[in-house]
Amino acid sequence: MIRKLFFAVLLLMGVSPAFAGRAPAVSEGAAAPDFDLTARKGKASLAALHGKVVYVDFWASWCGPCAKSFPWLKAMHEQYAAKGLVIVAINLDKKREKADEFLATHPAPFTVAFDPDGKTAEAYRVAGMPSSYLIDASGKIVLVHAGFDPKDAAALEARIKEECSK
Amino acid sequence: MLLASGLPAAARAGTNGTTQIDASTLFYGEQGRVKVLEPMARITRIYPNGQSISAQLGIDVISGASPSGATPAGVMQTTTSASGTVTTVSPDQIPVTDFQDLRGSLDVDWKKPFGIFTPAVGGHFSREKDYQSVGGNVTLSADLMQKLTTVTVGVGMNHDSTFPVNGISTGLTVPIQTGGGDDSRPGDAIAEGPSESGSTNPSSSPKKVINVLAGVSRVLTRRWMLGAHVTRTLEDGYLTEPYKVLSVLDAAGFTVKQLTEKRPDTRNRTSILGTTVYHLSSDVLYGSYRFYQDDWDLRSNTVDLKWRHELEDNRFFMPHLRYYKQTESSFFRSNLVDGQPLPEFATSDYRLGPLETVTVGGTYGFHFMEYPGEWTIRAEYMAQIGDSHPDEATGVQREFDLYPTQNIGSIVVGYSIAF
Amino acid sequence: MLQVMTRRRILSLWFVLAALAFASGCAGAFKVHPWDRDLLAEKKMSYSPDPVLMAIDDHIYFSKEGSTGGMGAAGGGCGCN
Repeated sequence: MIRKLFFAVLLLMGVSPAFAGRAPAVSEGAAAPDFDLTARKGKASLAALHGKVVYVDFWASWCGPCAKSFPWLKAMHEQYAAKGLVIVAINLDKKREKADEFLATHPAPFTVAFDPDGKTAEAYRVAGMPSSYLIDASGKIVLVHAGFDPKDAAALEARIKEECSK
Repeated sequence: MLLASGLPAAARAGTNGTTQIDASTLFYGEQGRVKVLEPMARITRIYPNGQSISAQLGIDVISGASPSGATPAGVMQTTTSASGTVTTVSPDQIPVTDFQDLRGSLDVDWKKPFGIFTPAVGGHFSREKDYQSVGGNVTLSADLMQKLTTVTVGVGMNHDSTFPVNGISTGLTVPIQTGGGDDSRPGDAIAEGPSESGSTNPSSSPKKVINVLAGVSRVLTRRWMLGAHVTRTLEDGYLTEPYKVLSVLDAAGFTVKQLTEKRPDTRNRTSILGTTVYHLSSDVLYGSYRFYQDDWDLRSNTVDLKWRHELEDNRFFMPHLRYYKQTESSFFRSNLVDGQPLPEFATSDYRLGPLETVTVGGTYGFHFMEYPGEWTIRAEYMAQIGDSHPDEATGVQREFDLYPTQNIGSIVVGYSIAF
Repeated sequence: MLQVMTRRRILSLWFVLAALAFASGCAGAFKVHPWDRDLLAEKKMSYSPDPVLMAIDDHIYFSKEGSTGGMGAAGGGCGCN
């Protein structure tokens, strides 16, 4: 009986790292890490976008919620690009063909950049797929969001609108 | 009923959810014994919020003969029925009982994710001529470490009832003979009520089954997943096979009489299963090992390996190998011996005896032209090897092969579509 | 005596399971980033992706062998003999 308890505790310890704090995504208020990635046309660099409101979205072709977020991203681009919003959707697929297949069926009129090695994702300490970061004109992160649920879309849009009107 | 654990399915649901249909039909045949036709279909609806509901319907058409548990007669036997049919049975032929059955089953499942927790509830109902099973189960999964680890716990309960044609005998007694004509055998007639042949036991005997499951599924690397699951089952009630018998032999190996078998009325089972899935550049390897033991002293080890080899055009070929070995239960007897005191429990059912099963097969998956959905065809050969010359065999029985290797073939045709 | 032997075996299996879980929990080498889940997202990356086939196999082996259990097809009982 005691031995069974011992092994149960051991098993629990094995899973307990789950409950330990994990490194959170780069937090709100911090400076957004710079990136300089290949995009569909030319390059995408955060430094070059200083002064604009930037919405960085990390996505991949195999991620279900990412597929759901693209129509919303398209709508945000159409409504707020004129007001200074720049959307940079950073793709994390290991193979470019997978990303291209996805983009063929999910229209993306905004900037799409490629980070196959995940270096930028690591810099932003992406904790879930998709992950989005709203960066203000001074290069500071004002919003971090993981996952995508149509229910959260309204709140996200409100923040974007707020930043764009500054 | 599925009390299943593992990583939650990647919710690739579109804005309006996904409907998935899986259907498979089994064509199964044992050389000279049982033949089964089993179509089964499942429909699953996954909603955008991750909630899923599914219903699975199955039909089993079974016919053929299975060993009654008795030993070969030892002498040539010729019987002529009233209708003039002459049957000759050779001395070493293992007695079998003919039967036919039709079984229907329905399983329903519901699950919904709430943050990191996913509760699930399932129900099961199945019915055949002389057996009914009703059950339910509840599971709870938790996704930890950003879904790298999934822990599942679950509990299920089943209430089964047996109502054999001739009622339930007390066990280790002379079998009740059917009152019908020469061509009637147990399993042919349709039970319409309590037996008239003097059995004082109720004609329906229940059995309760409680299952507890705990499992962990763990992503180790980008390509590699491990799983460990433990299941404990407690069965309580009527656990004897109503149609199985044991032969009581004399020293020369001839049958003095037959007795019905008798098993304990509780059974405690434990099963520990380890699984591994490894993704190569495009192929996937699957492996599992299961250790099982129960308080009837039956122990078994099972190893199962599959290699899914991807081909062009979305096709695949997956060879499969399974090896199973069990040791006999404490009250397994290939036969009883006349004059010796009766044991408390005894069975000649080969499924509780020493047994090895080897399965070799392969699955071919493909899409049919431009039509949607994926087809799979699986062909498998199974060999069951038992103890041909048990120690308990006496006299003439020692010359016979009391457990010839059983050859079994099966084909499963499957179809899956999601929309 | 046979009883003690098998209990020890079960306990040693528990130990192996626990040790495995523990080791994998600690091993920093096994770092799987959220964006490294591409392969894991595939339907075939599940030990038993087809529940209908699993039910058919469980039924076959339950009818032909003395053992039950695995990932937990919790006894859809049958008098399949």
